[in-house]
Amino acid sequence: MDPEDLLLFAADTARLMLENGGETYRAEEAAMVVISSQGGVEAECFALSTGLMLSFMAEDGRVHSVVRRIKRRGMNLERVSQIDSMLQDLKADRIDIVEAGKRMDAAERIGERPILVKVLASAAGAGFFTLLFGGKLLDAVTAAFIGSAVSLLIQALSHLKLPDFVATLAGGALAAGATFCLRATGVAINVDIATIGVIMLMVPGVAITHAIRDIIAGDLVAGIARGADAFLTAAAISAGAGGAIALLKLLHLAGA
Amino acid sequence: MTTLNSILDAVKGPFYAAAATAAFSVLFGLLSTDIILAAGGAAVGQAVLQLIPPLKSPAFASFFAALAAGFYSELAAWFRKRPATVYMIASIIPLVPGGGMYYSMLTSLQGDPATSVQIVLSTLMTAFALAAGLAIANTLGRLAFERSRFPRPPVKPQAKI
Repeated sequence: MDPEDLLLFAADTARLMLENGGETYRAEEAAMVVISSQGGVEAECFALSTGLMLSFMAEDGRVHSVVRRIKRRGMNLERVSQIDSMLQDLKADRIDIVEAGKRMDAAERIGERPILVKVLASAAGAGFFTLLFGGKLLDAVTAAFIGSAVSLLIQALSHLKLPDFVATLAGGALAAGATFCLRATGVAINVDIATIGVIMLMVPGVAITHAIRDIIAGDLVAGIARGADAFLTAAAISAGAGGAIALLKLLHLAGA
Repeated sequence: MTTLNSILDAVKGPFYAAAATAAFSVLFGLLSTDIILAAGGAAVGQAVLQLIPPLKSPAFASFFAALAAGFYSELAAWFRKRPATVYMIASIIPLVPGGGMYYSMLTSLQGDPATSVQIVLSTLMTAFALAAGLAIANTLGRLAFERSRFPRPPVKPQAKI
């Protein structure tokens, strides 16, 4: 295989891992497994959640390297799982590099769920989280409805290619604003519990845990980058929610 | 009747956690059997969280809950021949201190930095405990399952580069 092709293939493997929620060390290992399976030596990969650098020495002694930026940070664990199994097979010489390429294409083509499924799953998630946090059935139903609205809003904003920060800000504002308005119209719901149930759809809990796992694993810079991402998301949600609540309070005062 | 009620009360938490995780697994792109397995991991984690008596620090209980969920994930991963992360990420969803991150930011925005710092510290401790629990489970899981998960087949000659 051409060393350039090998390099690009390895970088793409690592990029797919990072884009779909794989850990940093897993992405770095992925690139190195691909390269060493084809006889490349001294493979080094440095990955962050925002990009990766990869270099190796081919059999003719020339060093090849590439940089890849990662713009999209999503979560698709089925892709991670497919790529991982492809890598294990490649490592164990069960498949050759052509077959590996086919399997990676197949993994990349695993589609997102349809919008309706995502909305329903968000509704269920928000509802059950509300119950878990001690909410009553009415709180859960409210959270489920608002959760599906938040999910629709975020998907619409992402579709418009707005930054994640804006989408999360709007989501937080909708979550807090809607529960607050419902409470004001006399529906007997627990505003705090219903809001936090909806907000669990957006909170960066996985990101912060991932960040600390990266740091424990020794990927200090990657961990700090992920931590900053988590911090920004939390700030966006709270700014949205806090802003909406403050605005509603102001309006209520003005109206009363 | 009272025993039935207390049993119901005890099972409620894990059940809700499992249901919420199942919903999140769909969002995370998992498929059929994996969704059920991930939900099981959340139930295990939540059950352990409830079993451990409340101490001053919530981080302690979180650590053991993450450890249990982590071991469960390793087991499920070995069973299904998949990376354990797939189950770990989904099954710790009910344990993650997402609410803490939100509340710390919110209190800070509302002009109460002292409470905010307090919540930030407790959130970070919980996140650290979770991550440590998962890391330990992951390491032990690798030691236990690595060999059986990927038995080396006879090496066949293959053209390199």
